[in-house]
Amino acid sequence: MSQKMIAVKVFRQDPEAGTGPSFDTFAVPWQPGLSALDVLDYIYQNLDSTLAYYDHAGCALGICARCTGKINGKAGLLCQTLVEGDLVLEPTSAERVVKDLVVDRGGK
Amino acid sequence: MTATEIKTDVLVIGGGGAGFRAVIGAREKGAEALLLSKGPLGRCGATPMAGADYTVDGKSLRELGFYGEPLDSQQTFFEDIVKQGFYLNNQKLLEQYVRTAPLRLKEFLDWGVVVARSEERAIYTTGIGMMDALLGQAKKMGARTLDDVMALDLLVQDGQIAGVLGLDVKSGQFIRFRAKAVVVATGGWHKAFWPNTGMRDLSGEGMAMAHRAGAELGNMEFITFCCNVLYGPPHVLGSIASYIFSLRCAGELTNGAGERFLGQYDPNLAYIGTHMEWNKCFISWATLQEVRKGKGSPKGGVYYGRGPVPWSEWERLVSPTFPNWKYKHIDLSAIVARIREGGTIEVGPAVEYFDGGIIIDEHFQTRVPGLFAAGECTLGPFGANRVCAATTEMMVHGAEAGQNAGAYALEQKTPAPDAAGFQELEQMASLPLTRTGGPAVAQVRRQVQEMAHRRLGPLRSEAELNLLLDFLQDVKANALPRLATASKSRRYNKEWMDALELANLTHLLETAALSALARTESRGVHYREDHPYTDNDQWLRESVARLNGGIQISSRPITVTSVTPPKGVKPYLEMLQELMEGHSAVGGHH
Ligand SMILES: Cc1cc2nc3c(=O)[nH]c(=O)nc-3n(C[C@H](O)[C@H](O)[C@H](O)COP(=O)(O)OP(=O)(O)OC[C@H]3O[C@@H](n4cnc5c(N)ncnc54)[C@H](O)[C@@H]3O)c2cc1C
Repeated sequence: MSQKMIAVKVFRQDPEAGTGPSFDTFAVPWQPGLSALDVLDYIYQNLDSTLAYYDHAGCALGICARCTGKINGKAGLLCQTLVEGDLVLEPTSAERVVKDLVVDRGGK
Repeated sequence: MTATEIKTDVLVIGGGGAGFRAVIGAREKGAEALLLSKGPLGRCGATPMAGADYTVDGKSLRELGFYGEPLDSQQTFFEDIVKQGFYLNNQKLLEQYVRTAPLRLKEFLDWGVVVARSEERAIYTTGIGMMDALLGQAKKMGARTLDDVMALDLLVQDGQIAGVLGLDVKSGQFIRFRAKAVVVATGGWHKAFWPNTGMRDLSGEGMAMAHRAGAELGNMEFITFCCNVLYGPPHVLGSIASYIFSLRCAGELTNGAGERFLGQYDPNLAYIGTHMEWNKCFISWATLQEVRKGKGSPKGGVYYGRGPVPWSEWERLVSPTFPNWKYKHIDLSAIVARIREGGTIEVGPAVEYFDGGIIIDEHFQTRVPGLFAAGECTLGPFGANRVCAATTEMMVHGAEAGQNAGAYALEQKTPAPDAAGFQELEQMASLPLTRTGGPAVAQVRRQVQEMAHRRLGPLRSEAELNLLLDFLQDVKANALPRLATASKSRRYNKEWMDALELANLTHLLETAALSALARTESRGVHYREDHPYTDNDQWLRESVARLNGGIQISSRPITVTSVTPPKGVKPYLEMLQELMEGHSAVGGHH
């Protein structure tokens, strides 16, 4: 049985290296119950380890809200949004991009 | 590049309950205090994930106006926790836990914690509610905080703590902290295992850096696996929601052959081992016995369902804990629908709590002057098995560690740390950014995590521990020194952080595996298939790991105040049952 694949288009920008804004597209194996955050984990772990998304201290429970992003154009939590097919993932604010999907939310 | 420098009296590393209570404690003594949080303020670490219970002896709980149990006493509570811990508890630390638990609950209420319900020895609230109360109080007390800052290493100078090197995660720049006292409150190291129940930030840096700085780690082999954790689908893998189902309604556990496997045990043992929080110890053990017999589920667990319990009854018992069938913000409706239809869900043990950790004295200080520790990262009061609340531990530890660190800092004239010391640490930390080639960090990590889950789970043996140790040696020799990031930008460089974390995770795994190998007996959450007896003649001792070139494992006698442990050697399950039966009948889950 061949596994269903989805196309995931991800916003890329590295202000330090002066690259982007642009999009990269990755082919990711799909299964039921996969969240947008699981998709990013898969890309980072298997396809492109330069990808940045808020992961080093995310809760994956929907309580810290650091993984807020635009999923197919709609703002939401990456960790709580289940994926059904092809995806476009973008940061909520293009001006405050730290890198790729990580934005500066003020803090400190 | 000149690194930012920040000066304070007390630096607290870690923004969970213990860290926040410590920074408040330091302020209570009038010391300047700053807290570093690796993730979002008040929303990282294990604390906000907790359900959460908070345990206090029944008499004090009644006096505070809750359900409680007037016939309970602090001494009975103390004796029960010693039995839960298979007599391995540090009784001095446990006395402090029992004595100060009511005070910390009282202040929690004053700071706005809302109690949903209470029973004999516990109140129930939420981890998020606890964090919000602590955040408010820390602000009121004038504590400073920095979020998205990861501490990397401690700087020891002239035999005492002088500073901490930090990394501003977003900018990728180093921060040099100068401090007279440091409180490590970094919680557990869940990230060394896959699957796990923890947040993504728990990788044990605090424990590893304390070890490098000269502190000792103790009882590292005691690792609690929560039972009945969800093994899928991906977005809920590692969630304890199903554990809470099973605590509210035991339902029915079946193995891969469809057998109700708890039926093979003494009914009393199985009952207490299911209905009280001994379940993490007993059910995780019993689950893996099935897996060992080849009767596990495909993912190495078992199945939970409501069994003969009617849906209406299951719903009545479980739904109050999950408004709209949500756990935090996770939507459980599909999983609950399966249970309603009489189906089962695949569950199993996953790492949840670390009973061992940084060795502290009764002032919460380590062997390194000026270095304190609090909360889950310490070798705390629970001995070989924790049944009572870790949220209580984090509060009673945090308060005194912070106060003692504050008092210490006010008396010290700590020398300004040398720039050279910081430079050396910075160079070490930068290595993955300067190397090229090398193995993929995330893939090495996943191999390490899966190996740890398999070989350092609730059931251990010499052969398997040696396999794990050989594997870790290989990672240390061939992978860690070559880890390189694909991107060389410093800004939010995930792979860089992962590489730094992996070195700490590997170190803690090695320490725990060596301690587990040395302990040739079975006690609490440490079960050796090749030594299936609790050995009260040889092993009423704490394991101690020192770092001296390599990791050196030794042991020391336990600290006893009022409860004399028994003598003799007993089969593990017999010992477990005897402890359960010797427990008071105060009631409730603890
Ligand atoms: C899913 C789950 C549910 C639980 N439920 C309960 C419960 O109901 N009742 C109970 O009693 N116990 C429960 N526990 C255990 C309990 O939550 C923890 O033992 C307790 O909260 C630990 O508190 P802590 O402050 O010591 O550590 P944590 O709350 O884990 O906080 C550690 C902090 O240190 C920070 N940190 C780590 N490394 C660094 C670094 N290098 N630099 C800076 N900061 C760093 C982290 O970001 C975090 O802020 C649960 C645990 C889990 C995982």
